Amino acid sequence: MKTKQDFPSINQKEALGKGPDGRAIRVLIVDDSMFVTKQIGQILTSEGFEVVASAADGQEGLEKYKELYPNVDLVTMDITMPRMDGVSALEKIMEFDNKACVVMISALGKQDLVKKSLLLGARNYIVKPLDRTKVLERITASIR
Amino acid sequence: MRVEYINPFVESAYNILTEVLKVEVQRGELYLKNAAMPMLGVAAIIGLAGDVEGRVLFDMTRETGIKVASGMLTSMDMDPVEDLNEMARATLTELANMITGQAVTKLHNLGFKFDLTPPAIFTGENMSVSDSNFEALIVPMDLPMGKIEINVAIRERA
Repeated sequence: MKTKQDFPSINQKEALGKGPDGRAIRVLIVDDSMFVTKQIGQILTSEGFEVVASAADGQEGLEKYKELYPNVDLVTMDITMPRMDGVSALEKIMEFDNKACVVMISALGKQDLVKKSLLLGARNYIVKPLDRTKVLERITASIR
Repeated sequence: MRVEYINPFVESAYNILTEVLKVEVQRGELYLKNAAMPMLGVAAIIGLAGDVEGRVLFDMTRETGIKVASGMLTSMDMDPVEDLNEMARATLTELANMITGQAVTKLHNLGFKFDLTPPAIFTGENMSVSDSNFEALIVPMDLPMGKIEINVAIRERA
């Protein structure tokens, strides 16, 4: 007779969004597009990450980071945004917390700004259009 | 208008629509318009300025707009939209961003340098668009959700 153990379980795979202590990794999403915020949020929460806040521009992102600190583990940062762009917000976040883990979200054709962000301390970058595999791959690589 | 400008938009629109909506896309016959032309009801507009200048419009009916936004959302495991609400508009903006992003990379690789404005979404009845001293090329794309007209008016800066 077959028992439950004979069948692979979808729950066997470790959720990517859990840290080594089993606690969910806390994410701040900074993006001026409601669509992208929701898309990243959906991908991350489905893997066990916890989206603790989102911000619609760099200024708000910086303020929320300071407010949440140290209860935030990862930031996804859009590059082109009103008020304060992602590169300036990254710079200010790194000044405030040099261990911050920031992943840049870039439109196509912004290689120079991506390069600048990496020099300023961004851990990784993802070029739009976003897809599930790309987002999870880059984000898990940057939190390890 | 030189055909080099429009081809990247047509190719990217075809690629992105097929990839994102996971539906069959048919490219209709391209046509040229000089006079003011009626718009369908929902349009995303993106401006270009640099070596070349002008604008690109993605025009569709309200019903198609809702269906396209829903198709894009559900293909990414998100909830569809019932109306042309904020989420629907953000989704269509992102679609326009994806298409122009890819087209612009192609144009940059051909040596044209210019900047883009962020997309704006227009909605309304009985709208029309006219461009003085510009020819507009229109490429209809037929989807199961309806028709999207890609309306490109670009010229070299004098």
